[in-house]
Amino acid sequence: MIRALIMITGLLSLFATSVQAAPTRVVADLSEQQVGITSSYHGTELLLFGAVEGIPGDDVIIVVTGPETRMAQRRKDKVAGIWVNVETNIWENAPSFYHVYTTRLIDQIADFETLTASGIGTASLDLKVAPAPKRNDGDRNAAPAEPLDAAAMTGTLIRNLQNMGLWKIHHAGIKILGDRLFRATLQLPKNVPPGDYKIRVVHFRDGIAIGQETTDMVIKKAGLSALIYKFAHEYSLFYGLFAIAFAVGSGWLAAVAFRR
Amino acid sequence: MALACHMYIYLPIAEVSMHIGVIIGLGGGVGFLSGLFGVGGGFLMTPLLIFFGIPPAVAVATEANQIVASSVSGVLAHMRRGNVDFKMGGILMLGGVIGSSLGVVLFSFLRSIGQIDLVIQLSYVVFLGIIGFLMLTESLRTIMRSRKPGAVRGKLHQHNWLHGLPFKMRFRRSKLYISALLPLLIGAFVGVLAAIMGVGGGFIMVPAMIYLLGMPTSVVVGTSLFQIIFVTANVTLLQSVQTQTVDFLLAGLLLLGAVIGAQFGSRASAILRGEQLRGLLALMVLGVCFKIGYDLVIQPEDLLSVEFLK
Repeated sequence: MIRALIMITGLLSLFATSVQAAPTRVVADLSEQQVGITSSYHGTELLLFGAVEGIPGDDVIIVVTGPETRMAQRRKDKVAGIWVNVETNIWENAPSFYHVYTTRLIDQIADFETLTASGIGTASLDLKVAPAPKRNDGDRNAAPAEPLDAAAMTGTLIRNLQNMGLWKIHHAGIKILGDRLFRATLQLPKNVPPGDYKIRVVHFRDGIAIGQETTDMVIKKAGLSALIYKFAHEYSLFYGLFAIAFAVGSGWLAAVAFRR
Repeated sequence: MALACHMYIYLPIAEVSMHIGVIIGLGGGVGFLSGLFGVGGGFLMTPLLIFFGIPPAVAVATEANQIVASSVSGVLAHMRRGNVDFKMGGILMLGGVIGSSLGVVLFSFLRSIGQIDLVIQLSYVVFLGIIGFLMLTESLRTIMRSRKPGAVRGKLHQHNWLHGLPFKMRFRRSKLYISALLPLLIGAFVGVLAAIMGVGGGFIMVPAMIYLLGMPTSVVVGTSLFQIIFVTANVTLLQSVQTQTVDFLLAGLLLLGAVIGAQFGSRASAILRGEQLRGLLALMVLGVCFKIGYDLVIQPEDLLSVEFLK
């Protein structure tokens, strides 16, 4: 917090001498550039703060984008009385995390087309989807599903990821102070995917993006959880043998300790 | 401070944050029941882990790791009493290692086509349903019979075509002279199920030993535990190497609870009679079977679901 205050005071003096130019300058900093997922991780919050060359009525939108991930989206249908996955679509490059923060309701800041053109919102993502190669999964008799158009399919992906808390809009999640300073508490849920994140801050005036700044953030496993993960993936044979040895040892110990 | 007010623990392989009290509580609760009924408890633990949000692949592989420990702990007591038929256990183990290796391959394939959840659920419904039903009718019959004195006990086991298979072998401890193919096949079959369902398979192995092999009941549990150690160790190793889904931290914490719970459970088991215990266990098995079956039948809230691919 003290660091943040020092930073903000620094930014203020910077702006006192700055010259108005187009596009406007945006500065932003994070309370932490590196977030460690340790064994006690259960979601966390970060402070994002900065300044814009703003006038009354200006807005700020922050877009937090996680690493692109391949995702399998499966559809269930009733087969012989039970619910079974009958169809899979593979999303090749959807961001595993997509949170948007705004100073007020997003449609009051700019219209949909402008937002999309400025690279804000899920509609601006260039999502590639491919139906998985057909396999003989015993569902040959089922009627093929009505093909959805691209927008409807994206809609279902948004719904799924929103329900997982990974895609979200935080309306009015940014506070603006004195038209220039802004501050937002970024929420990282407990299921946050590790990887390289991009945080984009966009300055809006009269429904048009007039300035922006991008900053990076890394989320990765740390401490004991990083150690176990690395052990499991890089020395998987030894990890397996170690897990067995530990189980045999503790089973034996329990039998000896509680022998009656 | 961090520990006192923040009791969640991030599981590095499951990539899920869980309350440490829930993990140890699950271990303790299932450990209590396994001590009470003398079963491994995998058939309870794996569905519970999935219910609490652990990915099915991690639940199955991690539970295999935990069962190694509980089986070692259990088999030692039986070894001291000489209740393990090592020769029979060895043949069952050979079959079990082959079967569970096949099971792990099958598991990976089913996972890649998005059908692993379904197959896990169906296996639970079918096998818990059959075993639970058989146990319930058997214990009810025993309870009835004990109230009706003078009833005649049936023959322990009958000879049938299974005993005519080649490669006959003598099993001294079990007082049997039967084809080695029989235990080999039973071991392999239970091994496949163990790898897919995240169980030791004792609940199928024990009845199979009594009714199909005709082994004396005194050596059945010890011999079953003996071979389960190797089957679950095999699953642990193969899953570690192939899919990296064994969560060592989760297994360790479950174990901690289970060790303590099992002690209370085995003490509590002295209060109830054998057939009462079996009847209660049967009801529990059927309860799990119905819960999983119900989840398959009711319409899910959202027909679409997303899974991240590595």
